[in-house]
Amino acid sequence: MKTPADPVRDYLSAVEREASALPADRRQELLADLAEHIEVTRAEHPDAGPGEVLARLGDPRTIAGTALAEAGIGTGGAAWGRDHVGAPAPRAKVHPSVPLLLITLPFLLATVVPDAPALQLCVGTLRIIGAVFLCTSVFWTPVQKTVGVLLTLVLPTTANIIWEATTIAPAGDEPALVANLVTLALLAATSTWLWRSRRA
Amino acid sequence: MQLRKGVLEYCVLALMRDRSRYGVELVHALEESGVLATSQGTVYPLLSRLRRDDLVTTTWQESTSGPPRRYYALTDGGRAALDEFTRVWPAFRDTVDAFLTPPTAPPGDPA
Repeated sequence: MKTPADPVRDYLSAVEREASALPADRRQELLADLAEHIEVTRAEHPDAGPGEVLARLGDPRTIAGTALAEAGIGTGGAAWGRDHVGAPAPRAKVHPSVPLLLITLPFLLATVVPDAPALQLCVGTLRIIGAVFLCTSVFWTPVQKTVGVLLTLVLPTTANIIWEATTIAPAGDEPALVANLVTLALLAATSTWLWRSRRA
Repeated sequence: MQLRKGVLEYCVLALMRDRSRYGVELVHALEESGVLATSQGTVYPLLSRLRRDDLVTTTWQESTSGPPRRYYALTDGGRAALDEFTRVWPAFRDTVDAFLTPPTAPPGDPA
């Protein structure tokens, strides 16, 4: 019994849509399995309407969610921990070392080569990119991110502006080097703390 | 819910212990046993994973009534996994039972 609006085709389209995060081959396999189920069930129960068969098959979103969980998308669970049906896909994971290295290493470079404005600009940019990665990362809580940005970016930058713009700081290269080394120690300590407290 | 899903996979393997079965047959057997808490369609992603993990293989077989059916059968690996689960499960079940059962009154204590 074909109607202009084919409920089976609509149903399979809905599954396909809900399972769009699934690799194409797995999605096609799932659709083929469901199509076969519908066909076989209707052959075995000719009196059952398509609506009834589809209703018992279940909500397309639930099936797609199960397929995503089984494919390991949206979960990292082992055999006994597979669940999170319909859990949202996680944000793309940048390795937790990336933001920490971006925040810390450029500053080391700037300390070693102090009088190069172009380099200083690059260092600042890289450190801001690092902070953005830190803030969008899934490995830390909002509180950790705030503390991390305050200690590694806001505090050093504020101190630097005060250092450059006022006369309270002692003149000369040696105090500047000491200040940079203190900052570097702060960055290293904060990065170490973030690294150790990151989520698994 | 997680526990149920974990156990369901072995129920599916157990259904294939003696003979191969096709998808609709597996789905109905699970549904009738009451072990299936979700809709029928969620069995297929599970079957797909069992296939990818080489625990089951599938072969198409013609049917005298209706379309050809994809039959699922245990591989050696699937049989080994099922045997292992069958071996471990009773002790596991008893351990959980021991936790869940309220302590019985000591002997001699009036009921």
